[in-house]
Amino acid sequence: MDAAALRHEMPPEVDALPALLDRLEEFAEGAGLSPRAAQHLALVTEELAANVAMHAAGATLVTVEASRQGDSVHLLIEDDGPPFDPLSVAEPDLDAGVETRDVGGLGVHFVRRMTREAHYERRDGRNRLTALLDAG
Amino acid sequence: MQIAENREGATTIASLEGRLDTATAPATEEKLLSLLDAGPLVADMTGVRYVSSAGLRVLLKAAKQARTKGVGFSVCGLQPAVREVFEISGFDKIIPLHATRADALAAG
Repeated sequence: MDAAALRHEMPPEVDALPALLDRLEEFAEGAGLSPRAAQHLALVTEELAANVAMHAAGATLVTVEASRQGDSVHLLIEDDGPPFDPLSVAEPDLDAGVETRDVGGLGVHFVRRMTREAHYERRDGRNRLTALLDAG
Repeated sequence: MQIAENREGATTIASLEGRLDTATAPATEEKLLSLLDAGPLVADMTGVRYVSSAGLRVLLKAAKQARTKGVGFSVCGLQPAVREVFEISGFDKIIPLHATRADALAAG
Protein backbone atom coordinates (compact mmCIF):
# COMPACT_ATOMS: atom_id res chain seq x y z
CA MET A 1 0.00 0.00 0.00
CA ASP A 2 1.12 3.53 -0.72
CA ALA A 3 2.18 4.88 2.66
CA ALA A 4 1.21 8.40 1.67
CA ALA A 5 -2.41 7.51 0.93
CA LEU A 6 -5.22 5.94 2.90
CA ARG A 7 -8.60 4.58 1.91
CA HIS A 8 -10.77 3.12 4.63
CA GLU A 9 -14.36 1.95 4.51
CA MET A 10 -16.35 1.37 7.68
CA PRO A 11 -19.89 0.82 8.87
CA PRO A 12 -21.33 3.93 10.56
CA GLU A 13 -20.90 2.49 14.06
CA VAL A 14 -19.10 3.73 17.15
CA ASP A 15 -17.46 0.31 17.49
CA ALA A 16 -15.79 0.83 14.12
CA LEU A 17 -14.05 4.05 15.20
CA PRO A 18 -11.00 2.52 16.95
CA ALA A 19 -10.02 0.72 13.74
CA LEU A 20 -10.35 4.01 11.86
CA LEU A 21 -8.07 5.73 14.39
CA ASP A 22 -5.56 2.88 14.09
CA ARG A 23 -5.50 3.31 10.32
CA LEU A 24 -5.11 7.08 10.63
CA GLU A 25 -2.18 6.68 13.05
CA GLU A 26 -0.56 4.23 10.62
CA PHE A 27 -1.09 6.64 7.74
CA ALA A 28 0.26 9.60 9.73
CA GLU A 29 3.41 7.67 10.54
CA GLY A 30 3.91 6.40 7.00
CA ALA A 31 3.27 9.84 5.52
CA GLY A 32 5.66 11.52 7.96
CA LEU A 33 3.12 13.87 9.52
CA SER A 34 4.16 15.83 12.61
CA PRO A 35 2.55 14.71 15.90
CA ARG A 36 0.41 17.84 15.84
CA ALA A 37 -0.73 17.25 12.25
CA ALA A 38 -1.45 13.61 13.05
CA GLN A 39 -3.61 14.65 16.02
CA HIS A 40 -5.49 17.18 13.89
CA LEU A 41 -6.17 14.64 11.16
CA ALA A 42 -7.35 12.00 13.64
CA LEU A 43 -9.59 14.45 15.49
CA VAL A 44 -11.22 15.96 12.43
CA THR A 45 -11.84 12.54 10.92
CA GLU A 46 -13.08 10.88 14.10
CA GLU A 47 -15.43 13.73 14.96
CA LEU A 48 -17.02 13.65 11.51
CA ALA A 49 -17.25 9.86 11.37
CA ALA A 50 -18.65 9.72 14.92
CA ASN A 51 -21.24 12.27 13.90
CA VAL A 52 -22.43 9.99 11.11
CA ALA A 53 -22.33 6.95 13.42
CA MET A 54 -24.45 8.64 16.08
CA HIS A 55 -26.83 10.81 14.10
CA ALA A 56 -27.19 9.71 10.48
CA ALA A 57 -30.23 7.43 10.47
CA GLY A 58 -30.13 5.04 7.54
CA ALA A 59 -26.46 5.49 6.67
CA THR A 60 -24.78 2.21 5.75
CA LEU A 61 -21.21 3.19 4.87
CA VAL A 62 -18.56 5.77 5.68
CA THR A 63 -15.55 6.12 3.40
CA VAL A 64 -12.42 7.97 4.46
CA GLU A 65 -9.63 8.90 2.08
CA ALA A 66 -6.49 10.78 3.04
CA SER A 67 -3.38 11.56 1.09
CA ARG A 68 -0.31 13.67 1.60
CA GLN A 69 0.70 16.08 -1.11
CA GLY A 70 3.71 18.18 -0.18
CA ASP A 71 2.95 20.16 2.94
CA SER A 72 -0.76 19.34 2.81
CA VAL A 73 -3.05 16.49 3.71
CA HIS A 74 -6.15 16.06 1.58
CA LEU A 75 -9.06 14.47 3.40
CA LEU A 76 -12.35 13.19 1.99
CA ILE A 77 -15.12 11.75 4.14
CA GLU A 78 -18.22 10.38 2.44
CA ASP A 79 -21.38 8.84 3.82
CA ASP A 80 -24.71 7.72 2.39
CA GLY A 81 -26.87 9.10 5.19
CA PRO A 82 -29.52 11.80 4.84
CA PRO A 83 -28.29 15.17 3.52
CA PHE A 84 -26.43 16.94 6.33
CA ASP A 85 -23.82 19.69 6.23
CA PRO A 86 -21.75 19.36 9.43
CA LEU A 87 -20.22 22.78 8.75
CA SER A 88 -23.64 24.37 9.28
CA VAL A 89 -23.60 23.54 13.01
CA ALA A 90 -23.40 26.59 15.31
CA GLU A 91 -20.18 27.46 17.14
CA PRO A 92 -20.03 26.41 20.81
CA ASP A 93 -19.83 29.02 23.59
CA LEU A 94 -16.14 28.71 24.47
CA ASP A 95 -16.40 31.15 27.35
CA ALA A 96 -19.06 29.29 29.35
CA GLY A 97 -18.01 28.13 32.82
CA VAL A 98 -17.96 24.57 34.08
CA GLU A 99 -21.60 24.73 35.21
CA THR A 100 -23.08 25.78 31.90
CA ARG A 101 -20.56 24.48 29.44
CA ASP A 102 -21.83 21.90 27.01
CA VAL A 103 -19.79 19.96 24.48
CA GLY A 104 -22.25 20.23 21.62
CA GLY A 105 -20.74 21.58 18.42
CA LEU A 106 -17.20 21.03 19.64
CA GLY A 107 -16.41 18.43 17.01
CA VAL A 108 -17.23 20.85 14.24
CA HIS A 109 -15.29 23.56 16.05
CA PHE A 110 -12.24 21.28 15.77
CA VAL A 111 -12.93 20.80 12.08
CA ARG A 112 -13.01 24.56 11.55
CA ARG A 113 -9.94 25.27 13.65
CA MET A 114 -7.76 22.35 12.53
CA THR A 115 -8.28 22.53 8.79
CA ARG A 116 -7.02 25.12 6.32
CA GLU A 117 -10.19 24.68 4.25
CA ALA A 118 -13.27 22.53 4.54
CA HIS A 119 -16.03 22.14 2.00
CA TYR A 120 -19.32 20.24 2.00
CA GLU A 121 -21.35 19.03 -0.94
CA ARG A 122 -24.16 16.60 -1.57
CA ARG A 123 -23.40 14.50 -4.63
CA ASP A 124 -24.88 11.26 -6.02
CA GLY A 125 -26.86 10.62 -2.85
CA ARG A 126 -23.84 11.06 -0.59
CA ASN A 127 -22.53 13.66 1.81
CA ARG A 128 -18.98 14.63 0.81
CA LEU A 129 -16.80 16.58 3.16
CA THR A 130 -13.41 17.57 1.76
CA ALA A 131 -10.74 19.29 3.82
CA LEU A 132 -7.16 20.45 3.54
CA LEU A 133 -4.88 20.15 6.59
CA ASP A 134 -1.25 20.97 7.35
CA ALA A 135 1.17 18.04 7.15
CA GLY A 136 3.83 19.69 9.32
CA MET B 1 -8.02 2.68 27.61
CA GLN B 2 -6.22 1.41 30.73
CA ILE B 3 -6.85 3.08 34.07
CA ALA B 4 -4.56 2.43 37.04
CA GLU B 5 -5.39 3.78 40.50
CA ASN B 6 -3.07 5.06 43.21
CA ARG B 7 -3.74 6.73 46.52
CA GLU B 8 -1.92 9.76 47.93
CA GLY B 9 -3.57 10.53 51.27
CA ALA B 10 -7.26 11.14 50.57
CA THR B 11 -6.68 11.78 46.87
CA THR B 12 -7.05 9.11 44.21
CA ILE B 13 -4.78 9.37 41.19
CA ALA B 14 -6.17 7.73 38.07
CA SER B 15 -3.46 7.13 35.48
CA LEU B 16 -5.05 6.94 32.06
CA GLU B 17 -3.30 5.27 29.16
CA GLY B 18 -4.49 5.06 25.58
CA ARG B 19 -7.03 7.08 23.60
CA LEU B 20 -9.85 8.98 25.26
CA ASP B 21 -12.30 8.96 22.35
CA THR B 22 -15.86 8.12 21.35
CA ALA B 23 -15.27 4.40 21.87
CA THR B 24 -13.52 4.58 25.26
CA ALA B 25 -15.49 7.51 26.73
CA PRO B 26 -18.39 5.55 28.32
CA ALA B 27 -16.21 3.16 30.36
CA THR B 28 -13.79 5.95 31.32
CA GLU B 29 -16.67 8.12 32.49
CA GLU B 30 -18.11 5.36 34.64
CA LYS B 31 -14.71 4.76 36.22
CA LEU B 32 -13.86 8.40 36.93
CA LEU B 33 -17.31 9.16 38.37
CA SER B 34 -17.13 6.16 40.69
CA LEU B 35 -13.64 7.20 41.86
CA LEU B 36 -14.99 10.69 42.60
CA ASP B 37 -17.49 9.09 44.99
CA ALA B 38 -14.51 8.20 47.18
CA GLY B 39 -13.05 11.74 47.32
CA PRO B 40 -10.70 14.06 45.43
CA LEU B 41 -9.39 12.84 42.10
CA VAL B 42 -6.43 13.66 39.87
CA ALA B 43 -6.54 12.30 36.32
CA ASP B 44 -2.95 11.75 35.20
CA MET B 45 -3.04 11.85 31.39
CA THR B 46 0.68 11.38 30.73
CA GLY B 47 -0.14 8.17 28.83
CA VAL B 48 -3.01 9.60 26.78
CA ARG B 49 -2.01 10.42 23.23
CA TYR B 50 -5.42 11.38 21.90
CA VAL B 51 -8.51 13.15 23.23
CA SER B 52 -11.64 13.83 21.17
CA SER B 53 -14.73 15.87 22.02
CA ALA B 54 -16.27 12.72 23.53
CA GLY B 55 -13.25 12.54 25.84
CA LEU B 56 -13.59 16.19 26.80
CA ARG B 57 -17.24 15.54 27.63
CA VAL B 58 -16.14 12.88 30.14
CA LEU B 59 -13.74 15.29 31.87
CA LEU B 60 -16.41 18.01 31.93
CA LYS B 61 -18.84 15.60 33.56
CA ALA B 62 -16.26 14.67 36.17
CA ALA B 63 -15.55 18.36 36.86
CA LYS B 64 -19.27 19.05 37.27
CA GLN B 65 -19.77 16.10 39.62
CA ALA B 66 -16.71 17.12 41.67
CA ARG B 67 -18.15 20.61 42.04
CA THR B 68 -21.54 19.23 43.11
CA LYS B 69 -19.90 17.02 45.72
CA GLY B 70 -17.44 19.68 46.82
CA VAL B 71 -14.35 17.56 46.14
CA GLY B 72 -11.27 18.38 44.09
CA PHE B 73 -10.78 17.28 40.49
CA SER B 74 -7.86 18.15 38.27
CA VAL B 75 -5.93 16.85 35.30
CA CYS B 76 -2.16 16.60 34.90
CA GLY B 77 0.49 15.48 32.44
CA LEU B 78 -1.05 16.55 29.14
CA GLN B 79 1.00 15.74 26.06
CA PRO B 80 1.51 18.83 23.84
CA ALA B 81 -0.90 17.69 21.11
CA VAL B 82 -3.56 16.91 23.73
CA ARG B 83 -2.96 20.21 25.49
CA GLU B 84 -3.69 22.00 22.20
CA VAL B 85 -7.09 20.26 22.05
CA PHE B 86 -7.87 21.61 25.55
CA GLU B 87 -6.82 25.10 24.47
CA ILE B 88 -8.76 25.14 21.20
CA SER B 89 -11.89 23.97 23.01
CA GLY B 90 -11.49 26.41 25.91
CA PHE B 91 -11.28 23.51 28.37
CA ASP B 92 -7.96 24.78 29.71
CA LYS B 93 -10.05 27.50 31.36
CA ILE B 94 -12.68 25.29 32.97
CA ILE B 95 -10.71 22.22 34.09
CA PRO B 96 -7.76 22.74 36.46
CA LEU B 97 -4.61 21.60 34.61
CA HIS B 98 -1.24 20.88 36.17
CA ALA B 99 2.08 20.01 34.55
CA THR B 100 2.88 17.13 36.87
CA ARG B 101 1.23 14.83 39.37
CA ALA B 102 3.23 16.51 42.17
CA ASP B 103 1.89 19.92 41.14
CA ALA B 104 -1.67 18.56 41.08
CA LEU B 105 -1.32 17.04 44.56
CA ALA B 106 0.29 20.21 45.93
CA ALA B 107 -2.63 22.28 44.60
CA GLY B 108 -5.03 19.97 46.46
